Amino acid sequence: MDFILTGFRMAIELLLHGDAETYSAIFVTVRVSSYSMTVSLLIGVPLGFVLGYFRFPGRKQLRVVVDTLLSLPTVFIGLVVYAFLSQQGPLGEWGLLFTLPGIAIGQTILALPVVMALSASAVENMDRQLRVTLISLGVNRRQLLLSSLWEVRHGVLAAALTAYGRVMTEVGISMMVGGNIKWHTRTMTTAIALETNKGLFAMGVALGLVLLAIAFAVNVSVSCLRKRV
Amino acid sequence: MTVKDAVYQVNDVLHRYAVEPVLRIDALAIPQAAIVGLIGPNGSGKSTLLRLLGFVEKPSRGEILFKGRPAAPFSKAVRFKVTLLSQEPYLMRRSVIKNIAYGLELRGSRDHLRSRVAEALSWLGLPAEVFADRQWSELSGGEAQRVALAARLVLRPEVLLLDEPTASVDAVSVERIKAAALKARNEWGTTLLIASHDWQWLYEVCDEVLQLFNGQLVGPGRMNIVLGPWQARPDGYWQKVLSGGQEIVTTAPPAADAVAVVDSDKIMVVDAFGSGRQRKNILKGTISRLVLEKGSRNIVATILVDTMPFAVMVPPKRVESLNLCPGREIDIYFSPNSVKWIHQGDNTHPNKSGL
Repeated sequence: MDFILTGFRMAIELLLHGDAETYSAIFVTVRVSSYSMTVSLLIGVPLGFVLGYFRFPGRKQLRVVVDTLLSLPTVFIGLVVYAFLSQQGPLGEWGLLFTLPGIAIGQTILALPVVMALSASAVENMDRQLRVTLISLGVNRRQLLLSSLWEVRHGVLAAALTAYGRVMTEVGISMMVGGNIKWHTRTMTTAIALETNKGLFAMGVALGLVLLAIAFAVNVSVSCLRKRV
Repeated sequence: MTVKDAVYQVNDVLHRYAVEPVLRIDALAIPQAAIVGLIGPNGSGKSTLLRLLGFVEKPSRGEILFKGRPAAPFSKAVRFKVTLLSQEPYLMRRSVIKNIAYGLELRGSRDHLRSRVAEALSWLGLPAEVFADRQWSELSGGEAQRVALAARLVLRPEVLLLDEPTASVDAVSVERIKAAALKARNEWGTTLLIASHDWQWLYEVCDEVLQLFNGQLVGPGRMNIVLGPWQARPDGYWQKVLSGGQEIVTTAPPAADAVAVVDSDKIMVVDAFGSGRQRKNILKGTISRLVLEKGSRNIVATILVDTMPFAVMVPPKRVESLNLCPGREIDIYFSPNSVKWIHQGDNTHPNKSGL
């Protein structure tokens, strides 16, 4: 039991004294998750809106595929992305293996179905009277889509938050595609896994606390944003 | 009325959801600045007709002319002129002022927004200083309905379509909504189409009341609809026995489940009890209400025969001479030959209507 308490005490010291290795992992994580979230929101929200709003042939089948991708194992994504980015892979010449953009590609694949499926659900649950109301007030087609999207903003925020949670906490992609290279591609989760394997709990606990703090900060921000808009 | 005089001209419109037709209107013209009421049971097509006239949906077949020109959803000719308030209005997830100003902003009309919103709220009896900055979620059902109507009235539309505007709201809201709707017509010449179960209100304010049944226009709202099934009688007539044992007798229907239509003009109020009891269709009932019809200045008496209400047109002098008043028992009579028929599966029923 003592080693856990000692770990907590040392974790606070690492954070307070600005331990370079700990902060490197934090910055890498924030950076790479920002890349992947930006891309997955830019692609996923419009696609999710289309999937939830429009009725087209094959929509139900596509929805089943997207819902299935929600449970993609991160190690499988890591494996596939590794295969594509490795020297022998079709995208090997891009030189993205063991880089942050490489990890971001994998995390985007992880986040995209989450953003799409939850955005689509939010749009599907949208009150059907909204369309009637907007047309009755005089919107054109573009305004109809934009206003409808704005009306489901809370659902889209929830989708983004859920996806962010998955991206921040995944290990498989970062480990396989990033290679857990110190100062370069070591994220908080891969650092925790490594340090725990080495029996060094302090850094692991410190990074775990930071993960919790980031999750808390994001939730508080979203909650404030929700009240304001 | 020429096509030019009509704000709407509906030609051979059929609308269906999935496979089933839900509305079929061969011809209908609505004059400008008229107040037209739509009555009919749930599922009769009132809301569908309003959505088509509001250009929210496009009919599956046929065309709707707006001021003599074909129009469709999003077309410039109607976008800023026609507005629909649906039965369960949707307020956007924003404040009252933003909800009401939304339509004005779409039109690029951003001057004096706050004062115009305040004025629209005042028409509905909602003080702006109390309600303007409230969020949509902070309103009661009646307040939300009034805000939704204010969002339409602030646009000063040429056509205002109201779908059950007073359903599920409190008495104060009902009065405010009725007054504000009429204000639009009286002050700006707005054409009003109102679907409602409130017959009394419609008879009082409408230039014409149309009755819909089973997706078809039956005729003026004074038509009485009697559902089948019908049973053959030994004397060659057919009958339906009401819950209290009284019989409605008709000529042979086109089918046993056909729907009978009896014009209120064809029903007479009979004074003396028992007189002519040997005649068919003398039905004993109780007057439930008397309403002055705006157009004809006649009295529309609603008479409950067992549990079935019959609308009967009675000249005011006759009301006076017979001393008719709600609660009084009275006999009504109509000839079996005056009954017209709608066959449920008959899509060829003539339903042309020009006001």
